[in-house]
Amino acid sequence: MDEAICPRCKTTKYRNPSMVLMVNTCGHTLCENCVETLFARGSGTCPECNISLRRNTFRIQQFEDPFVDKEVDIRKRILKIYNRQEEEFTSLREYNDYLEEVETIIFNLSNNIDMELTKKKVEEYQKSNKSNIQRNRSKLSKDEELMEQLIEEEQAYLQHSRQELVQQERREKQRKMRQREELLDNLEFSDLPAGLVLASHTARQEEEMEKKPAPTTQFSTGIRIGGGTSFLPVPKAVEAALYQYRPGTVDLLGPEPPQITLLEENGYMSHMRDSSQADMAGGYTTKLGCHRALQEAFCGLYFVPHLTADSVGQEQDMELE
Amino acid sequence: MKINIDGLLVLLPYDYIYPEQYSYMVELKRSLDAEGHCVLEMPSGTGKTVSLLSLIVAYLKTSPKDVCKLIYCSRTVPEIEKVLEELRKLMEYYEKETGEPPNLIGLALSSRKNLCIHPEASALQFGKEVDGRCHQMTASFVRSRHERDPDVPVCDFYERFDALGRETLLPPGIYNLDDMKDVGREKGYCPYFMARYAITYANIVVYSYHYLLDPKIADLVSKELAKNSVVVFDEAHNIDNVCIDSMSVTINRRMLDRCQTNVEALTRTVQRLKDTDQQRLRQEYSRLVEGLREANVARETDVVLSNPVLPDEVLQEAVPGNIRTAEHFVGFMKRFLEYLKSRLRIQHVVQETPASFLKDLKEKVCLDRKPLRFCSERLNSLIRTLEIADLTDFSPLILLANFATLVSTYMKGFTLIMEPFDDRTPTISNPILNFSCMDASIAIKPVFDRFQSVVITSGTLSPLDMYPKILDFRPVNMASFTMTLARPCICPMIVGRGNDQVTMTSKFESREDVAIIRNYGNLLVDMSAVVPDGIVAFFTSYSYMESTVAAWYEQGIIENVQRNKLLFIETQSAAETSVALQKYQEACENGRGAILLSVARGKVSEGIDFEHHLGRAVVMFGIPYVYTQSRILKARLEYLRDQFQIRENDFLTFDAMRHAAQCVGRVLRGKTDYGVMVFADKRFARSDKRGKLPKWIQEYLSDGMCNLTTDEAVQVSKKFLRQMAQPFRREDQLGLSLLTLEQLQTEEMKKRAQQTAHQAFMT
Repeated sequence: MDEAICPRCKTTKYRNPSMVLMVNTCGHTLCENCVETLFARGSGTCPECNISLRRNTFRIQQFEDPFVDKEVDIRKRILKIYNRQEEEFTSLREYNDYLEEVETIIFNLSNNIDMELTKKKVEEYQKSNKSNIQRNRSKLSKDEELMEQLIEEEQAYLQHSRQELVQQERREKQRKMRQREELLDNLEFSDLPAGLVLASHTARQEEEMEKKPAPTTQFSTGIRIGGGTSFLPVPKAVEAALYQYRPGTVDLLGPEPPQITLLEENGYMSHMRDSSQADMAGGYTTKLGCHRALQEAFCGLYFVPHLTADSVGQEQDMELE
Repeated sequence: MKINIDGLLVLLPYDYIYPEQYSYMVELKRSLDAEGHCVLEMPSGTGKTVSLLSLIVAYLKTSPKDVCKLIYCSRTVPEIEKVLEELRKLMEYYEKETGEPPNLIGLALSSRKNLCIHPEASALQFGKEVDGRCHQMTASFVRSRHERDPDVPVCDFYERFDALGRETLLPPGIYNLDDMKDVGREKGYCPYFMARYAITYANIVVYSYHYLLDPKIADLVSKELAKNSVVVFDEAHNIDNVCIDSMSVTINRRMLDRCQTNVEALTRTVQRLKDTDQQRLRQEYSRLVEGLREANVARETDVVLSNPVLPDEVLQEAVPGNIRTAEHFVGFMKRFLEYLKSRLRIQHVVQETPASFLKDLKEKVCLDRKPLRFCSERLNSLIRTLEIADLTDFSPLILLANFATLVSTYMKGFTLIMEPFDDRTPTISNPILNFSCMDASIAIKPVFDRFQSVVITSGTLSPLDMYPKILDFRPVNMASFTMTLARPCICPMIVGRGNDQVTMTSKFESREDVAIIRNYGNLLVDMSAVVPDGIVAFFTSYSYMESTVAAWYEQGIIENVQRNKLLFIETQSAAETSVALQKYQEACENGRGAILLSVARGKVSEGIDFEHHLGRAVVMFGIPYVYTQSRILKARLEYLRDQFQIRENDFLTFDAMRHAAQCVGRVLRGKTDYGVMVFADKRFARSDKRGKLPKWIQEYLSDGMCNLTTDEAVQVSKKFLRQMAQPFRREDQLGLSLLTLEQLQTEEMKKRAQQTAHQAFMT
């Protein structure tokens, strides 16, 4: 970036180390000072392509090639609108076609091909998919999720291992001190010859050096301890025909009992007890009880034995199965 | 000699056998029977290669169903040639014994550079250039263009091979690189492609490690090898480093600049193609839409870069939509490149994991993980579509794509380290991005999974249990064999003090200490007075050697040394070193005597033998610890500690001791050879270091030799050398360290062999 030069005032990084190049939406660079002077009133035109620009859209150039800056800018904007996920598509082929379409839009916008048409297309898309875009905005794709998880794990692990290391070192130090003292004590007070004491000391040392098993990080099933579980995406409901209510038919094996509305007219109610307050609260009116009694009385009057035998047989068959 | 190993008739092309060879074969047979992997250590110069070959060939002949192929991996071309010579001897012996040549094919495979016979391409100097030239003449589009327009040059040798070569198999026999070339010239076939095709049906294949371990090449060359093959890694003491190197990527600023020109070239080419021949781009596009991979029909010449790491099922999936068209992909690469550039504009060291790198990548330039994974596959396809013949120019971009694929595929076992400058020159900005693999087991895992028996063997593999740990596999057999010797022909000693009782050590804090440097110098002067012919001295690093030699010069030590012997120094330049080596040999031959100052981990310590008078003594100045301040090493140590419960110090000591053992092992190249081994550092005497030396050195390193002064050391070596200089005949060896068939069959010897084998099994 040392040979970076402002196209307007011809300042270079070499002559003015504090120079910062800025890029606007058209992809042309200007140094910070020129931006100050040219866009003092908040807006103006690009000196190279005469597009009117606003001052607050200038940003610091990140990449060597300002074109890439511009393209990334456009891309970020477009990807905010075209933010559908792979899971939303039924086949990979469709998703890939979608990806290509988005890529073409970005390519056209950054290379000034069919500008008007493309812009219109984007607007239309934005309008027609408003709710979808809103919903997807906060969603992360699967890869991103995986990445987040990995980074989290790594950080946790790093912290853990650092602590472990410090502790281990401390333990090691203490152990060595203790052993040394023990050896000195033994040499001082023991009646055994010094060689034997030394030998037993080294033997013990080696014994203690035996490695302890590493702490487990997994359950026996292979699931990581403390790791979050990632759920599969909920499968999209299949859209089918709406449910339609059809009244059920009851086969009473008897004559039709009188309708509930006709009970009073036909005098069925004259011998019925009025329902109490408590019954009414439960929803049991006098008519209901009467109607029910009538239904039971009519039910099964046309009963023929051989029919039942059949149905019993069927039941037995069912059981056998 | 025909011997019976555990019920298997093995033909050994020599009249005598060493007892350890016998035990080695017994152990090897056991591992092959168990169809598992094994780690075997046997001192160099005891006929490891021939024992391996004899046993496995015998196995191939008797039970071809269990073992159908031997894949022998070695490190350098001369070593490969040596193996083939042994193999040829073995085959001749088979022919003599059985009356008919064995029906086996053995061949060597190496790079195009070593196998090309095309008059123009083979004249090129560097391997990369030869590859590029070859590709220019053999790529499928070049050939199809040639059909339309005969003026387009193609390689006649390849054309002939492609037309006829696949139908006729090589006749049984052993083919080294020159033989392959001869066959190629005779028939007019391309030897390289002939060899590559032949490894699918040959019985014995000898090639370099990389053809199996480097994922970029392994997929290409070794894809179709059968499961019931035996894989041997010879001289495998450095195998973990080979694995790690094959998966690591280093990117610097210059490379990124070259990538920039690559991207620009791609953009131009795509644009041109779009204007002239849109058909081709559309074809590629529709193929990618369909998610079809390249049909690998007769395209062996094209696939110069294969996907390094992705499993096949991922590759079967279609390329993500946002990098499907050529323009989008070029833009994609451009963004990735610019991102890396901006990352390399750092002022301080950054270390991060692939996960956080990818997250940042997503935030800054909106690059997803998925298309990154397909990067190298997609670039491959694009390059082919654009019909770019010369790939050497595009190597930076290919590397970048490989990096993208690796970083997005592996979440664990890798780390990214970005350094703004080299530690030694903190004022010069030289930003480097290291994507380094910390887990050697990643690269070698496919090999262990794929083949039924993998044999890891070398002269120095101690401590044996470290290798299964760092390579993450479970061996069925581990054994270390000592050398049975008729006389004690090595004399290891640890010199801990100078004559003035000052401790000798190469500890970092006391490197500048004049007294220590002087004591090291005096040791060299005194040794040069008593040791005949050649002495090899190893320092721990180039910088340490330079400063020490400078100090010696001021102290007048160099002058004293030169009274006794000539002095040669290994430098970082390969050409200079080879001249120094040549002159060193000359001085040893004509009796003047010479000293070679070299560096552990250098070229000399790894591949050059000092037989007989070329090396009568070797002096190890200090313990060759690796440069511990390097961040890559630190990261790897941390990883080893966390994942494999290997403590940092354990690994560092292990690494230092294997290199020390490699260095001192250079002087002993056989049983008639002899030499003094001086370990000049007090720390060698500690049990954790001493215990990590190979068994065959430890055996002769008695307690009495563990903390000598310079004087004592000189006395001991004087006595030892006088004793060893007595005439030594074969008869002295016979029955002890060299056995005839009858001797081998005696009960006593059998028992002994069994015992050594048993001991080995216990270790």
